[in-house]
Amino acid sequence: MHSIAIAWRRAAGVMLAAAVMMLVNSHAWADGPQIAQVKTVSGDAVIVRNGARLAAKVGDPVFEKDTIETGDDGAIGLTFTDNTVMSTGPDSEIALEQYRFDSSNFNGAMLADMRKGTVAMVSGDIARSTPGAMRVRTNTAMLGVRGTRFVIQVEGSR
Amino acid sequence: MRRLLLLAVLPLITALGACSSRQALFVVLPNPGGGSGAVTVSDNGGQSVVVDQPYGAAEVRSGQVAAAISSQDQVQKVFGSALAAQPILPTHFRLYFESDSEVLTPASAQEYKKVFDDIKRRPVYQVEVIGHTDTFASKDYNQQLSLKRADAIKERLVHDGLDPKSIAVAGRGELDLAVPTPNGVHEPRNRRVEITVR
Repeated sequence: MHSIAIAWRRAAGVMLAAAVMMLVNSHAWADGPQIAQVKTVSGDAVIVRNGARLAAKVGDPVFEKDTIETGDDGAIGLTFTDNTVMSTGPDSEIALEQYRFDSSNFNGAMLADMRKGTVAMVSGDIARSTPGAMRVRTNTAMLGVRGTRFVIQVEGSR
Repeated sequence: MRRLLLLAVLPLITALGACSSRQALFVVLPNPGGGSGAVTVSDNGGQSVVVDQPYGAAEVRSGQVAAAISSQDQVQKVFGSALAAQPILPTHFRLYFESDSEVLTPASAQEYKKVFDDIKRRPVYQVEVIGHTDTFASKDYNQQLSLKRADAIKERLVHDGLDPKSIAVAGRGELDLAVPTPNGVHEPRNRRVEITVR
């Protein structure tokens, strides 16, 4: 009787683990936690995730390693879990190379790779708690953020 | 003779470099309350420029960074679309509670409406409610009380029509005091929830 109860508990444990795996997998094959949410979209805007191009919609989750791209008429705005706000204009490409944030102590790090186009940013808790922890890279320069509002334009490699 | 020629040509090359096309532009914008933050722009050759004034800028040409000055007009022209796509900025609220209770103080009961309205104006939202207590009573008791406070606010928001999946709660007990006190102290300003809306 006792051993049946143990076996049942084990089975329940396996099922729970499977359910958690399915939850994780339902997040469109992304690794790690959600780091931002899409707040605004106009025109052609896509999230590139592990090679797949997903049309961006308001409310979509964004993950580390995603790349944000906009077309000729596109624009997109995101808000990160540390309250950093980022928005790009048309013909833009920005890769979210690195992002981690601990909301209990505000420690974290962020590195975005700005490949072309325009971006406007308002820095959040990562830049406030750790000067230098928020960075934006372009092919010609590295930007270290102390705060708060700034814009970047990168000419595409033509 | 060859060296002389080189000396004559060198300033010309430098001048051409200055006229070469811009590879990247960085502009610091004013804060709404006045002043601005600051950024450091470093090129791949190790040169760096600190930009810490409203509409102060840095440009990269021929791989080299240099300080520059931008303007409201240039920012609007180059970054108008990006700025127009900017989400509503995150906001922060603090609501206070009666002693040993998850009932809001009268002033915070009024303030609650502002929280609700702020969430409602956003097309999509993510809300974090973190509960706190003062140092009166035990740590364990306060941990539970802080979570009850956060849960009470979430329940109210959901009751008023907001999406429960978009509201996260946590309790921090007496770990993060707004006003530092010794243990065992009644302090109204520590009996609170911190709400982030984004």
